[in-house]
Amino acid sequence: MTLTHTASLDQGKPKFSELLAQPEVRQRWEKVRKYFFLRESTYDMSNRCNLRCDGCYYYEGEKQFAVENSSVEAWRQLMRDEKKRGITYVVLAGAEPSLVPERLEVCFQEIPLGSIATNGLKKIPESVGYKIHISVWGNDETSFRVRKAKDLLIKQIDNYRNDPRAVFVYTFTRNNIDEVREVAGGLVAEDCRLTFNVFSSPVGYAGPLRHDEESLKRVQAAMMALLEHYPQNVLFSAYNAMAHTHKSSLHDLYTCLYPRQNRSQDLGLGRSFRQYRADLNWDRSAACCVPDTDCADCRHYASGSAVVTARLFRHAQESATFKSWLDYVDTYLAVWVMGYPKGENLCAEPVSPPGT
Amino acid sequence: MPKRDEIEGIIERVTQVIIFELKLEDVTVETFNPDMDLIDELGIDSMDLATVALVLQDEYKIVIDEDDYPKLKTIRLIAEYVEEKMAARS
Repeated sequence: MTLTHTASLDQGKPKFSELLAQPEVRQRWEKVRKYFFLRESTYDMSNRCNLRCDGCYYYEGEKQFAVENSSVEAWRQLMRDEKKRGITYVVLAGAEPSLVPERLEVCFQEIPLGSIATNGLKKIPESVGYKIHISVWGNDETSFRVRKAKDLLIKQIDNYRNDPRAVFVYTFTRNNIDEVREVAGGLVAEDCRLTFNVFSSPVGYAGPLRHDEESLKRVQAAMMALLEHYPQNVLFSAYNAMAHTHKSSLHDLYTCLYPRQNRSQDLGLGRSFRQYRADLNWDRSAACCVPDTDCADCRHYASGSAVVTARLFRHAQESATFKSWLDYVDTYLAVWVMGYPKGENLCAEPVSPPGT
Repeated sequence: MPKRDEIEGIIERVTQVIIFELKLEDVTVETFNPDMDLIDELGIDSMDLATVALVLQDEYKIVIDEDDYPKLKTIRLIAEYVEEKMAARS
């Protein structure tokens, strides 16, 4: 079920210029629009990992069988070709990028804006100036059970304490909601930054991590409490909480724009986004931010960062919705772009997504 | 059929909006080719188009549907689209 979005000439709706009339809104708009040039693609850097986690997306579907291209020069050429076709931002992911630091270096030399998704077990050299997203799936007891990794959070913090690149990404599953306060407290005590992700089932997964309506409500309450409690360290907003814990998936709420769900190649993600496997090939029919996710259950922070952000038009219809969208974009940039400072949220209460 | 002068006026205004909103520095209203492909040749993308569309909506009191963005490839096509919407409204 996809919601429909139609605009009308409703005389009660404010003009765009009226939405921008408030100085703090105008200021935030000018701040975020400087980054409208970002155009992303994602890259599996290797087919190896130093962990085996339950529910890992990399080891679902075909991409795990890609034969790794280990030629640094081939990676350099790929990045140069990507730049030529307009890619300005890279997301380096599967399976575990920290195992191939020389490839990360090459990517950074060619395209200087990007991020790396890592489990944080092995430190990425400081010469790679991308944002680093360190995945956290619960406290150390849960990490040991789900990821077979002992003292994982301690090691992650040791590697990335005081590192301006680092953002810890706590993925809420159905089973780790109550642990987040303890984990967040530990991270904040070390002055780490964190944001939130919501477990989104791989295709065919019906296991214990999958959310239901009740668990999503609990997740939203936990997110809001932590946002209020640690506003300096939690990179999030009320609208992020709403969008990612809604009973409808991101695809149903916003209509996903990644090629896997979007046949149009005229504009935006449908035109420019590619998801390269470790052999440097890509498949348009499978290309999205986290391939092999069940779209009907997708609440990925990475997906929202592109899909919610791209829906400027739908959010620019009403003051609270527009402010919420600005908060969302501000959060996305703070999480994904080096040197971008998170501003104070403009909207403290979660508003409903347009059309719901 | 819209009057030629009317379309030319909209083309001029759309050009001004694009130059101002997208902060283009190397082009003027006089030198901007209204038939240039904004996506392929200028490299503007969906967020830029959304911004321009919101400003034009205000100015011409029309609604520019999100799904129509891919049609708005050149300044002339945008102007014709705006003119059609205005005609449909009256």
